[in-house]
Amino acid sequence: MRPLDEAETTAVFEKLYKFTGNNLKNVVENPSHEGPDPNPGRYCFRLHKNKVYYVSESLVKRATNIARANLVSLGVCIGKFTHSSKFHLTIQALSLVSANARHKVWLKPTSEMSFLYGNHVLKGGLGRITDTIAPGDGVVVFSMSDIPLGFGVAAKSTQDCRKLDPNGIVVLHQADIGEYLRMEDEL
Amino acid sequence: MGKKQKVILPPDLPPEISDDEIEVSDEDLQFVKENRDYAGFVSRLDTQSITKHVTRVADVNEDALEAIYEKRLKKKSALQKENEEKNKVHVDPVDALPVKTLDGKLYYRTVAKTSKGEDENEAGEDEKDGDVDKSLVKLTKAEKRAKVKKSRKEAKKLGKEVDQPEEAEQAPQAAVLAEVKEDLTAEEAFESKKCKLAELGIALLSNPEANITSLKEILQIAKDDNPSISKLGLLSLLAVFKDIIPGYRIRLPTEKEQEMKVSKEVKKMRFYESTLLSGYKAYLQRLLAAEKKPLFQQVVVRCICNLLDAVPHFNCRESLLEVVVRNLGSPDDVVRKLCCSTVRSLFTNEGKHGGEATVETVRLIAAHVKANNCQLHPDFIEVLMSLTFDEDLRKPKAAPEVDNKVKYKKFYKRKIPEEPSQQQENKRKMSKKELMSKTREEVAADYKAVSFAPDVEEKRRMQSETLSAVFETYFRVLKQTMLSTAASSEAVTGSNTSASDPHPLLAPCLNGLGKFSHLIDLDYIGDLMNYLKKIAGGGSSYDSSSRKHVEHLTVSERLRCCIVAFKVMRNNLDALNVDLQDFFVQLYNLILEYRPGRDQGDVLVEALKIMLCDDRQHDMQKAAAFVKRLATFSLSICSAEAMAALVTLKNLLMRNVKCRNLLENDAGGGSVSGSISIYHPYATDPNLSGALASVLWELNLLSKHYHPSISTMITSISGMNTANNQVYHAILSPQQAFTDLSLERETFQPKSDIRKLNSKRKRGSESSTLSGIESTSDASIDENEVSKKLTKHFIILRDIKENERLRGELDRTTLSLQLYEEYKKQKKAGEPKAKRKRAKIVD
Repeated sequence: MRPLDEAETTAVFEKLYKFTGNNLKNVVENPSHEGPDPNPGRYCFRLHKNKVYYVSESLVKRATNIARANLVSLGVCIGKFTHSSKFHLTIQALSLVSANARHKVWLKPTSEMSFLYGNHVLKGGLGRITDTIAPGDGVVVFSMSDIPLGFGVAAKSTQDCRKLDPNGIVVLHQADIGEYLRMEDEL
Repeated sequence: MGKKQKVILPPDLPPEISDDEIEVSDEDLQFVKENRDYAGFVSRLDTQSITKHVTRVADVNEDALEAIYEKRLKKKSALQKENEEKNKVHVDPVDALPVKTLDGKLYYRTVAKTSKGEDENEAGEDEKDGDVDKSLVKLTKAEKRAKVKKSRKEAKKLGKEVDQPEEAEQAPQAAVLAEVKEDLTAEEAFESKKCKLAELGIALLSNPEANITSLKEILQIAKDDNPSISKLGLLSLLAVFKDIIPGYRIRLPTEKEQEMKVSKEVKKMRFYESTLLSGYKAYLQRLLAAEKKPLFQQVVVRCICNLLDAVPHFNCRESLLEVVVRNLGSPDDVVRKLCCSTVRSLFTNEGKHGGEATVETVRLIAAHVKANNCQLHPDFIEVLMSLTFDEDLRKPKAAPEVDNKVKYKKFYKRKIPEEPSQQQENKRKMSKKELMSKTREEVAADYKAVSFAPDVEEKRRMQSETLSAVFETYFRVLKQTMLSTAASSEAVTGSNTSASDPHPLLAPCLNGLGKFSHLIDLDYIGDLMNYLKKIAGGGSSYDSSSRKHVEHLTVSERLRCCIVAFKVMRNNLDALNVDLQDFFVQLYNLILEYRPGRDQGDVLVEALKIMLCDDRQHDMQKAAAFVKRLATFSLSICSAEAMAALVTLKNLLMRNVKCRNLLENDAGGGSVSGSISIYHPYATDPNLSGALASVLWELNLLSKHYHPSISTMITSISGMNTANNQVYHAILSPQQAFTDLSLERETFQPKSDIRKLNSKRKRGSESSTLSGIESTSDASIDENEVSKKLTKHFIILRDIKENERLRGELDRTTLSLQLYEEYKKQKKAGEPKAKRKRAKIVD
């Protein structure tokens, strides 16, 4: 377990920024606990076995007691670095991203299942969409009852979506909560 | 009159009739004419005195009528009066009995009269009365002008005859007479010109083709130095032109055509048309020249507006339009109103000109807006609103046309390549075919120009052109607003002394966009939304420098931007449900900035309705944030707005089941409130405010609101809480909830208005409820108890009075004590001084 170095930090923040925009500030400054304590703790990012964890500072202190080999996980795993040292968000980051999302897409109930099996979001399945999406932005996918289902990358801007035919892809799939079942072993 | 004099001697005083009612009937005149013998005495009259009186009376009344004319005559009349006064000094007091005229004024006889015989005097008086009548009639009835003039001339002729011997006798009279004569001639000139105008006008109207040349004469008169005459000339020309201008545009014959032999009638017709056209052009030139003079402006603008209104199809429309559009922003209220109404009628009565004038007008307006950098009177843009109404009306008639209008941009593109090919075809035809077909084409073109058969293609083209000009104007205004705000924010601490309203055109522009929103091309909508977003947010509140120029735009203007954005979305993009996140953020912040006195409540309510009530779905977080903020807002706002806010709140609560957690007593927190566990009341983003972690404690306070309907509303809202578990499922169907709430909204609107007005009635109703309670208690409780309570009440009252009395006494005694102490102190202070004095004396 170690803090991220410069290159890794920029990679992580750039990725998160695509989803949260200016709300990235909230991610970083989020107090780790409430209460009468005058010094609310912070969350920080830690790298452990190529995975990036979002951990509260107090937990980090306690985790130092455990040998690196024995430590399986701590805090919330938000993503991992690939062998080519690219950063990928994993589905566990959903709670963090969805709370601060800038760009959202709501799915119709009929197309929820399709998305949860790992398919892209098509225009026909679109229930709602936020206004200012540009292609390449990170988009969080919600069900109509505001339950976050996953996230992905926008393939088309909101303007272009209007002219798209129903089978056109709006959001490219990255992660969905179906992975908790499908890829239980990997996570 | 003459009849009266003959039959009844001495003449009866006519019954007291106000001057206006007296009329010389035609019969009377006829009688005088027929019976010359009876009227013979006229020749023996003392005309000098008559004329004097006549002119005097006439002058007095004319003053009232002809203000401008009077100015010129003022000096003369003053002089004349002086002279008269001189004359009056010489009057023998015995003969100087005053004469009372019909209008009740007293006139003293002057020297001249004393020398005349008794009977003549009498007759003179009578005649004078008659003449006075006539002059009065002349003033009241313009139609009788000619007749009166005739009689005046007669009198004058006689006057000349009689005057000559008199002049020798009485020198001072000569000057007066000269004055009078001058007056007469000036007046007469005025009158004659007026008459001439009338005669020419009537002749023209009765037979325009024969008398067309008299147009020039009227034009000459209109160029008169006397402003009133020239005004009259302009106005009468207006009347004439309005009547004789044909229902088609005149095309002057080409030289070739003139060479051709034509029948007499055609020649005549051509002559008529060309004279009419040249006259019209001269008239317009005169109008345009006069328009610059402030004295003429109103008259000229009225002429132009009337012309444009009546004959928008005729030649030279462009110059008329130019003037009208320029005066749309005139500082003069009358002129502006006239122009506005003219342009509106142009827009609404397109049948008269086939829509061409509309296109031209809109283009002119666009050009003006561009030239003046959007610093114009709001009426400039407001006029365009009447365009919409018209189009909406015609929609059902021409449904396919509308479709094309929506995609006018595409249509435009298709149209452009077509045009050159058509021209080529034309050329080919010309080269191929003979003169016959060419002339036929010409005839067809002429026919087209003359006839008003609505050509669908043409109409569509014009509609699209109009629309593009309108939107060009609107976008220009938006852009200018944005740029100016940006510039002012960049200037940071620069001059804050911009004009009171730096964006006069923004409000009507937004209104117009709202109305036309269904016609905007899809390609533009992205840009439009961006503009609106920037204006609504004032460059979104992330950097501190942009905060400054937010102040340049009022809250209502920014709210309007949000509303327009939602309208545009709703009208065009129903297919895709887009969440306008940024506008919600704006609204969320604007609610806090709202001040009841300064900003328009109806705009806020409209925004609430469109954005929060009409929208189908909301995020839970967002809805909760709005619920919380609306509750807080309604605590600190007057009852009407509070009611609107509460209705919206209820609506939101009904739609968002999860938000009802706010109604529970313990703060939700945990899993319900999402990642944010504390409520941040000042957060700018509704999604990050963590409202679900808070409790709607405001409702408890509001349930004690002084306004009965609000408190009942609150109880119904908090009632949702208790009924939660049972009715929860029943309410779930959104349709039912929606109908419920729409009813609520309907009943709410008028209520809130009434509430604003009558705070008195509220008090009355409260007292009535109190009395009602008392009466019910009376009915249930027997008299003993009542008397007991009453005695108790009165005892308390007496105690209070006693208490007050005692307190007053106490105050008085303490005051006197204080006074006494002060007195003592003074005494003590005084004693040592006295002692010292004594000591000094001893020394």
